Amino acid sequence: MNAIAFNGVTKKYGEVVAVDGLTLDIPVGSTVALLGPNGAGKSTSINMLLGLLRPTSGDIKVFGNGPDEAVTRGDIGAMLQEGSLIPELTVRESVDFIRRLYPDPLPLDEVLRMAELTDLAGRRADKLSGGQTQRVRFALAIAGGPKLLLLDEPTAAMDVESRRSFWDNMRAYAAQGRTILFATHYLEEADQNSDRVVVVARGKVVADGTAAEIKAGVAGHTVSFRLGLQSAAGLDALPGVSAVEIQTDRVTVRTGDPDATVDALYRKTTLDVRDLQIHGADLEDAFLALTKES
Amino acid sequence: MAHYLRIELLRMVRNKRYIIFVIAFPVIFYLLYSNLWGDQVDETTGVKGAVVLMVSMAAYGALAASIMSSAVPWAQERHSGWLRQLQITPLPGWAIICTKLIASMVLVLPSLLLVGLAAVLTQDVSLPAGEWAGLIGSLWVGTIPFIALGLTIGSLLPPDTAQPVAMIGMFGLALLGGLWFPVEVMPSAMKSIAQVLPSYDYASIGWKIVAGDTPEASAVFGIVGWAVVLGVLAVFAYRRATVRA
Repeated sequence: MNAIAFNGVTKKYGEVVAVDGLTLDIPVGSTVALLGPNGAGKSTSINMLLGLLRPTSGDIKVFGNGPDEAVTRGDIGAMLQEGSLIPELTVRESVDFIRRLYPDPLPLDEVLRMAELTDLAGRRADKLSGGQTQRVRFALAIAGGPKLLLLDEPTAAMDVESRRSFWDNMRAYAAQGRTILFATHYLEEADQNSDRVVVVARGKVVADGTAAEIKAGVAGHTVSFRLGLQSAAGLDALPGVSAVEIQTDRVTVRTGDPDATVDALYRKTTLDVRDLQIHGADLEDAFLALTKES
Repeated sequence: MAHYLRIELLRMVRNKRYIIFVIAFPVIFYLLYSNLWGDQVDETTGVKGAVVLMVSMAAYGALAASIMSSAVPWAQERHSGWLRQLQITPLPGWAIICTKLIASMVLVLPSLLLVGLAAVLTQDVSLPAGEWAGLIGSLWVGTIPFIALGLTIGSLLPPDTAQPVAMIGMFGLALLGGLWFPVEVMPSAMKSIAQVLPSYDYASIGWKIVAGDTPEASAVFGIVGWAVVLGVLAVFAYRRATVRA
């Protein structure tokens, strides 16, 4: 069963297309990163999942229901990009209030422990630091024990240490069989904390797979050598090759499978290959290649 | 919803602005004014100043409480993202605005009761039980249009504008409605403004009750009419504020 199903979802703000025909299924129990640059449509997609925004066209299902019904049933918890707390309430009061709105919440002490707030439970919200406030917001998102947790750039305001412990806490929550979708523009976060990365740019999915697959994918590796005066014809037909570029006497081919490409280069062509270089791409390269303006 | 109401009350009781404007002000002004003019007797009705002032200050306190406990907190919640936090929980939208209304109604009670208590303790004010019940009851229910006004302000304006608008609205209604100075001493232009304001209708019901008279039908209709108009406006503004584009 799918926790989330986007089916041809488009969202326009006037002339601006924020999400462009998004189709995406996320099975129950997976942890998925929605990776993309600012303006890629990540927040718009998350707000549509919560029923806070309506798609211009297309259909969204959350556990088989529309977003509003999923929210009413208490299936979704979310940590949105912005949000502050009621200053006069203590951490415990806020968390307990939100958790009681859900039909099947987690025990209060467990929520506080999972968000590392046990020692701050009695403190008023207006006496919390920025990082502590983010932890409370995480606690509010998980308090109702939602089956689906949505996190929209949750670590944006955190320092390195808080980030690390935040992801530990998130993984602990995911380990209870919950589905998690988080938006980020940090490649490392997507790489380290998800079992699937969906790369979006300009409102569309441009790559979808594990971090390793995406690294190996579209623009994964380059193979280059000195071509001299020989013709480059036929190089684009070699296995794995997605693009061929020639600069002065050097040719560079992009490939998803450098082993097969190099093997074929020696066995299947008559080219005199000199000065061969192979570069592996990291996720950063893949990301830039995938999301650059075309 | 009961828990939501408890949370709303808890936060306001911890709010210094609420305590100062809404609870301390009316009681302090009552003590001050009644010492100055408490012994004067109104020649037409024969009611002592201490009693008239009790109604005026209780009405002011309740008016202040209804607007202060609704407009600014609500504008802040919308602005800070707390409203969205609530919208993504199973709490239905109507429960949010209904809880706000009920919370504000509970929060007007302290000023009503404390001003009454101050009147009894310091000025030996005594009224028949029926008049007490009628006075407190009508001053309590009569806050509905002011709460609706506060919620409308909070739905339409960002917090930094809602704050001054709520203050001006509150003092304007109190001053022009004759809660601070009797309408009789106002210039005729102000007097005619006063008579169309809900705050004048509101307080005049109280003044009639303590004089042992039946409140004027025009005042009752006036306050009910304002409640309907502002109530519709509040619902409309709330829907606009929570619209899902």
